[in-house]
Amino acid sequence: MEHIDVMVVRPGDVATVGATRDGDGLLLEPVALAQATGWTLEPQGLCRGDICVPTRGRAGLVRDGLVDLATFGDVVGAPVVVDAAEGAVSITEPAGRRAGELASLAAPALELPDLDGRPVRLSDFTGRKRLLLAWASW
Amino acid sequence: MIAVALDESVEAVREWVDAADPRPTYPVLVDQEHLVAELFGIINVPSTVWIDESGRVVRPPDITPADNRFRDFTKIDAAVHHGALRRWVREGELPLPAEEVRARRQAPTPELQLARAERRLGVHLLRGGRDDAARRHLDRAAALAPMDWTIRRGSMPLVGEDPFGQAFFDFYTAWEAAGRPGYGFTGHDD
Repeated sequence: MEHIDVMVVRPGDVATVGATRDGDGLLLEPVALAQATGWTLEPQGLCRGDICVPTRGRAGLVRDGLVDLATFGDVVGAPVVVDAAEGAVSITEPAGRRAGELASLAAPALELPDLDGRPVRLSDFTGRKRLLLAWASW
Repeated sequence: MIAVALDESVEAVREWVDAADPRPTYPVLVDQEHLVAELFGIINVPSTVWIDESGRVVRPPDITPADNRFRDFTKIDAAVHHGALRRWVREGELPLPAEEVRARRQAPTPELQLARAERRLGVHLLRGGRDDAARRHLDRAAALAPMDWTIRRGSMPLVGEDPFGQAFFDFYTAWEAAGRPGYGFTGHDD
């Protein structure tokens, strides 16, 4: 077991949090888990916004006060990729949540840099019809 | 129009923009994280999404080539999309009822979401010079989402593969054999 800094890759940004490496696993203090994922460990379970997922009986989730990241992903149903050797984690939203966003037909908030690095938001053009074109050099 | 390039290399995007004649008068954004793919449910390029004045998606992502130069591959007539687009812009004619828009949006599977997380981790490790680890995650992403072009073909330049080379044609053959999953719905030849 050793303490390391871990890169947390999320949709749209990257954070660094302190973690404990235990073999192939990475464990976070609850405060670091909240920083990295937005989920807090409460007496009733893992909570984010108005959603709480019960954690009672989930063996291996909490060890010595630390939350195991891979088990956390299983419990909240979020895709979590743990690469303990590289000190890196990638987390994104559960498929069901994305499906709900798509079904709402509301265009999600999107902010990306232009070629000069200036941020541009989809909402900068509210009030006009917008044709969003996804393309690539490849 | 807002153009979003699903590219890791800003320079690769700039080359295309500099070569465009006339130069784009619309914003050209760079999406290294493939955010737009995840947020709008896009699995190949070029895809367009129509968003109305209030921020509502009135036409879900669809493959919309700018012209017919790759029609043998795409089997899509670009003129059909262009005509529908003109009618929407000029006359406000909606292409699909809301229920149809909803039905045509492709909800991601848990495997696809995991593939997106794997791909993103691979890209960040690559930026840090961790090539072997990056390759493992990119390969896992490909295995989890074997029919997603943004993940399969989009990762080829990252690992030094030619996006028009053998790896691409192997992917294309498998994708075609699987019935061209996830492809467009407008202007199809068949």
